[in-house]
Amino acid sequence: MDRPIKTLQDKNSYLDLHRQERVTLLEVLDRALDKGVVISGDIVISVADVDLIYLGLKVLLSSVETMERLRGAPMAGAQEEPT
Amino acid sequence: MDTKVTEKELIYLYCVTKKTPKLKEAEDLVDSLYFIYHRGLFAVVSKVKFAEFGEENLKRNLANLEWIKHKASIHEKIIEGVMKNTCVIPFKFATLFNTEDNLKTMLGQHLEEFKDILKKLEDKEEWGVKIYSDLEKLKEVIIQEDEEILNIDKEINSSSTGKAYLLKKKKEELLNIATNKKLNEYGEVSFDRLKEKSTEDRINKLLPKEVTERNDEMILNSAFLIDKDKVEDFLKIVEGLRTKYTDKGLFFDCTGPWPPYNFCGFLKEKIHNG
Repeated sequence: MDRPIKTLQDKNSYLDLHRQERVTLLEVLDRALDKGVVISGDIVISVADVDLIYLGLKVLLSSVETMERLRGAPMAGAQEEPT
Repeated sequence: MDTKVTEKELIYLYCVTKKTPKLKEAEDLVDSLYFIYHRGLFAVVSKVKFAEFGEENLKRNLANLEWIKHKASIHEKIIEGVMKNTCVIPFKFATLFNTEDNLKTMLGQHLEEFKDILKKLEDKEEWGVKIYSDLEKLKEVIIQEDEEILNIDKEINSSSTGKAYLLKKKKEELLNIATNKKLNEYGEVSFDRLKEKSTEDRINKLLPKEVTERNDEMILNSAFLIDKDKVEDFLKIVEGLRTKYTDKGLFFDCTGPWPPYNFCGFLKEKIHNG
């Protein structure tokens, strides 16, 4: 199979490298910080710390309201489990 | 290699493999990337400074977005480098041990689980699909297609001001209901189509706009574990869904292959016959 290791299947994002970089970063953070095998190593990052990281993604985030949204309130009009 | 751990260093675990990992590609990313062998498993690790990753300072660093971006990218690149040659179990960002012995103890405790997971992951790739919806665009489509709404429109045109006002309210309400219904339907249909080619799937929590920095709403955040020889088919399905739903204001963000972050859990996996 001949394809690049990381394919962003969105033609538009090729036009905007900065955007692509940001998207990739979002994907990486969404995975590396939130998923993967969680073992209690000798030093533990708590869930609250991870929330802080998501907050940090957008520097302007400082409101309590946003904190609450990040804590898992579903989006308007969106469905969490379409099954 | 000197594997003696001094007091001022910690062992950072990136991933575990069954075959000897090749570290050439990734070794420039950090100081002293190496592996630890223990009872049939290889742990890819590097030494990190206690001053940077010790509890107190780690907490402080986690508040620093630039630091996280940099370190998370390294974490990802190292694992991607290793997975070019062999199947990996990726660990969560900043999985840290005080000593190699502690790491080996952990490996020993989960030996069978790790081996089972690696067996399951063999010849498979993780792909991610995030679907976003441009709600305004979707509403425009619905306004032109939904019979009930079209009927109300007609009624509005032939009604008195007062009645028209109430009908407009009702139209608004119907539009919101129809939009939600369509979103659910599109999300469901897409997810069902996508998982046809996967051996396992995950639905993850939706990320808010503040995080995605997009103008449209995320309506599905999903991940799929796919046999390598079915990936081409999977991508064709994504293309098909794109064609089908672009007019409805949906945007499909498909990325991969990723380290199988979503499919290395210990607990009983939800396996469906794909």
